Amino acid sequence: MASRPDFPAKGAYFDGETAKSHTVSVTGQGEYLSITPLDPPGKPFFWRLDRIRAQAGARKDTRGPLVLTLRADTDDEQPRDPARLVLQPGPVADWVRASAPALGARDLRPGTWGRVIWRTTAALGAVAAIVFVILPRLSDTLAERLPIEREVAFGQLVVANMEQYLGGADGTLACNDPAGLAALARLEQRLTTGQNLRYDLHLQVFDHPMINAFAAPGGQLVILRGLLDGAGSPAEVAGVLAHEIGHVEARDPTRLAFRAVGSAGILSLLLGDATGGALIAVMGDQVLSASYTREAEAAADAFAYRLLNDTGIGTAGLADFFESLDGKGIDLPEYLSTHPDTAGRAVSARAADGAAHDAVLSDDDWAALQGICG
Amino acid sequence: MTMEAQPQVARGNYAAPDSGVFGLALRTGVLSLITLGIYRFWAKTRLRRYFWANTRLGPDGFEYTGTGLEKFLGFLVAVVVLAVYLAVVQLVLFQFGLYFVFQPRTQAEILMQLAVIYASLFALAPLLFFAQYRSRRYKLARTRFRGIRFGMEKAAGGYVLRGIGLLIATILTAGLLWPLMTYKLEAWMTNRSWYGDTRFAQGGKWTAMYGPYKHVLIGLAVLIGGGGIAAFSGAGSLVPLIIVVGYLWLLVGYFSYYVQGFAYLTRNKQLGGDITFQANPKTSTVLGRVILGYLFIAIVAGVVFAIVAAVFGGLVRAMILEGGEASLSALTAVGIVAAIGYLGFLTLLGAMIMAFITEPIIRHIVGTTALVNVPALDAIRQRVTDKGADAEGFADALDWGGAI
Repeated sequence: MASRPDFPAKGAYFDGETAKSHTVSVTGQGEYLSITPLDPPGKPFFWRLDRIRAQAGARKDTRGPLVLTLRADTDDEQPRDPARLVLQPGPVADWVRASAPALGARDLRPGTWGRVIWRTTAALGAVAAIVFVILPRLSDTLAERLPIEREVAFGQLVVANMEQYLGGADGTLACNDPAGLAALARLEQRLTTGQNLRYDLHLQVFDHPMINAFAAPGGQLVILRGLLDGAGSPAEVAGVLAHEIGHVEARDPTRLAFRAVGSAGILSLLLGDATGGALIAVMGDQVLSASYTREAEAAADAFAYRLLNDTGIGTAGLADFFESLDGKGIDLPEYLSTHPDTAGRAVSARAADGAAHDAVLSDDDWAALQGICG
Repeated sequence: MTMEAQPQVARGNYAAPDSGVFGLALRTGVLSLITLGIYRFWAKTRLRRYFWANTRLGPDGFEYTGTGLEKFLGFLVAVVVLAVYLAVVQLVLFQFGLYFVFQPRTQAEILMQLAVIYASLFALAPLLFFAQYRSRRYKLARTRFRGIRFGMEKAAGGYVLRGIGLLIATILTAGLLWPLMTYKLEAWMTNRSWYGDTRFAQGGKWTAMYGPYKHVLIGLAVLIGGGGIAAFSGAGSLVPLIIVVGYLWLLVGYFSYYVQGFAYLTRNKQLGGDITFQANPKTSTVLGRVILGYLFIAIVAGVVFAIVAAVFGGLVRAMILEGGEASLSALTAVGIVAAIGYLGFLTLLGAMIMAFITEPIIRHIVGTTALVNVPALDAIRQRVTDKGADAEGFADALDWGGAI
C-alpha cells in the first residue's frame, strides 16, 4: 500500500447537481478520502474508500487523470452517485489507486441474473417459434405458389452454387463421357416413362468422391461419383434416385430453400453478421445435408417404393443399398444421415414388394455409367 | 473570492496515445469472435468508454456510462421484433426475387430486378431511421460531462416519418436534395437534445449546406454532362477519362461533404442560447488519414493473408492427397478452419481500421472543435436519468453505426 500522502492535492469536484467545476482540496484520512471545498471554502466531507469507484475506460496507468465516483443506490444504469471527483496524477491519486479496494467493481443490482436468464429464454423461445413454426408454414405456402419455370431457373442456380461449393468452377464438375451420358439417359427413361411426373427431370453426375445424391428445386437431380462407385448394382442407384424424385415431386427442395433463406436472415441477425457469410453457409449446408422432415422422408420413401414397383425395377436394389451402408456410419447420403435407422428402412423396402421384373440397365450400360467421369 | 477566472473557450483535445485503441479493439474483437458475437455488446461498451474518456473539452473529460449488459438485454427484445419482421419481409422479397433476380433476360426484367433490390432496401428504411434516432438517444443518455447527463426526447416516430419523406425526395431529385435531408434530420435531433436542463438548438440554413455539397454536384456534373458532351461530339475516347475524373471528384466531394457538412452543422449549434461551438476540421486531413490508413492496412493485411494462405493451402493439399479420397469429415474440418481463419482475419482488419483510421479521424475532429462561453456552463443543472429504452438493441441488430 502506498504511504499516505503528506499534503493534500487539488482536485476538481462536480457535485452532480450543476455543471460547475468546484476546486477542492483532497487528502487521505484513515478509511476515508477527505474532500474540502475551496471556492467558496466549506466544511470537508468524506468518501469511504471501499465505496469509491473509478471511471471505466480511462487509462489504467498513472499518467492520466483519475475520475472517481461513489457506489450508491440510484436509478442510474449503474448504482452510482452522480457526483464526480477528478484527481490529476500525483501522490493522492496514487494513494487512492493503492488503497481503495474496489475501484473497478461492477456492482450488479440484485435480480440481474434472473432478468438475464428470463429475457434470454423468452427471446430464444420466440425465435424458435418463428424458425420452427411460422417460417416452415410460410415457406410451404410460398413454395406451392411458385411457377414451375421459375422453380427450374432457381434450381439451376442452386446446382451451379453447389458445384462451386464442392470445389469446381462452373461446369467443370459435370461428367460428360458420351457412353456414360447415354446410359444415364436410359436410366432416366427407365425411371420416368409413363409416370406422369410434374417435372422434366434433369439428371447429371458430378465428379466428386462423396457417396451422395441430392435434389435441387425444379427437377434437378445430381449424383456424386462416389455413389456410382459404391453401388453394387444399377438397381441400387435407381432406388436412391427414386427416393430423390419423390422429394422433387413433393417440392421439398424448394420448401427447404425458402426456409433456409428465412432462417439465414435470423441467424445473421443473432450473430451480428454483416458479411452475409451465414446466408451462404446455411444455403450450402442445407442443400448438402438436407434435413427434410420425417414426414417428407417417409413420403419420399413411399413414392420410391411405388415408382420402383410401377417401373418393374423392384425395391430390392434400394434395400440392398440401405443394407450395404448400414453400420458404415460415414459419408451416408443425406436421407440416411438424418435417419440413422437404415436397417429398419431396408426391411421396409424389402417388404414393399421387391421382385424385379426387368433389369434396370444392361451390363454394358452399367459399366458405361460407372465410367461416366472418365 | 478564490475563484480563478475561467477561460472563455474550451478547446477539444483527444488525449489517448497514437493508435492506442488497437490493443483494446483487437482483444475485444477476438472475445466477440470466440463467444459467437455475444461479447460484442461489451466490446462496443469498452471501446466507447475509451473514446469518451479520452475526449476532453478544456480540462474536463467525457464519460460513457452505458453497460454491455443493458445492450445485451435491449438486443434480446429487438431480436424478437425484428425476427418476425425480417423473416417475413425477406421471404416475401425472396419470392419476388425468384421472378426477377435470377438471369434477367430483357430490359424490363433488369429494371424489375433493380426495383426489387431497392424495395428490399426500402423495406428496412423505417427501421433504420428508427434505430438511428434510438441509437443517438441512447448514446446521449449515457454520456456525461462535468457529472451532468446529456439526454434526448422521445421522438423517433417523427424522425422516421421525416426520414422517409426526405429520403424519397432525395432519391426523386437524384441526390439534389441530399443537403435538405442532412440538415432537417440533424436539426430534428439537435433540437431535441439536452445537456442537463439546457436544450441544444440547430441554427443555420439548409441551403448553406450546398457549400460543402458543391463538390458532389461538380462530380455529378462531370459524369453526366462531360460524358454526354463527349459522347455526342464524337470524342468517345474521352469517356473513360471523364468517368474516372468524375468518380474521383464524387468520392472526394463525398468526404468533403461529410466533414464540412458536420463542421457547418456544429458551428451553427447553440446550447441554451449563449453557448456556441467552433469546428474547423480539414477535409484534406481526414481524407489523407483514410487513404494512408487503408494503404497501411492493405499492406499489412496482404502480408498476413499471403502467409496464412500459403500455410493453409499446403495443409489442405496434404490432407486431400494423403487421404486418397477426401472424406466428408475432412472437407468439413477444412471448411470450419477456413471460416474461423476468415473471421479472425476480419477481426484483425476491424481493429486496424479502428486504430489507423477511426481513431486518427476522431483525434482530428475533436482537436479542431471548441466550446465558446465556458462560464455559462456553471448554471446548467442535472437532468433525470433515461432508462435508454432498447439500449441500441435495434441499431445493433440492424448493424447500424458500426463498432462505435
